[in-house]
Amino acid sequence: MEAAGGGGAAGGIALHDFSGQLGEQRVHFHAMRLRDSLFLWVGAAPALASLAVAMCSPRDSIPVAASLLGDPSDTASSCLAQRLASKTKKQIFVSYNLQNTDSNFTLLIENRIKEEMTAFPDKF
Amino acid sequence: MLLQCCFRSFSEAMEVSPIVTSKQREEVVHGVPTEVVCTAFSNSVLVVVTQYGKMGTIVYVDPNTIGDNVGRPSLTTKVLLGKDEPLVHVCAKNLVAFVSHEAGNKPVLLAMALKDKTMEGIQALREVIRSCQVW
Repeated sequence: MEAAGGGGAAGGIALHDFSGQLGEQRVHFHAMRLRDSLFLWVGAAPALASLAVAMCSPRDSIPVAASLLGDPSDTASSCLAQRLASKTKKQIFVSYNLQNTDSNFTLLIENRIKEEMTAFPDKF
Repeated sequence: MLLQCCFRSFSEAMEVSPIVTSKQREEVVHGVPTEVVCTAFSNSVLVVVTQYGKMGTIVYVDPNTIGDNVGRPSLTTKVLLGKDEPLVHVCAKNLVAFVSHEAGNKPVLLAMALKDKTMEGIQALREVIRSCQVW
């Protein structure tokens, strides 16, 4: 998605912080837009404990993902990265640092991100 | 237009002060446009150094608690994504060893995409990283 007339959208790293009250928990987001890629950190406390990457593949309808840091059996980061990669068609790095990995909760997280992407397309 | 305004005010209402601190800088280093972003987390520091605008190679630089015999902890470098070659490990250590040390021996997650990997280039990049001190 291109930002209409967004001067800084073409080049340069853009940082964007936002948060959301999801149920009883306040969740913080830190996005860093790079060239054709996005780094997104999600957490309630400022720790970075996991990292995953996902990108679209011409061979598969589901984006390919890999866990880079943290417990590889914890798929929350890579699942979210996959879902955002299929939405944006970009290479997506996700660091998901919440205890709650329930699918209903991660859907709320995803919706909050998509809402922010709609409101500030030039930041993603 | 009106819809966009509504979205904006709604999102801004949700906005609170960021939970993580970031500093970023754009500079031409030895003729190469370079971007640096440093972000402080409670358990680590994220350093992005890019001359291609991308994340590039991702290296985890971890201080060992045992340390060498002069008291400074030695650093273990692990390539998480990208080409795992000796020069990557050397560049990573040279770029962010001081960050790990000054941050109180925290691990550093380094994303680097470098055109210029000369010693002079790395030295100059180190100063740009220093100017983005968040630790």
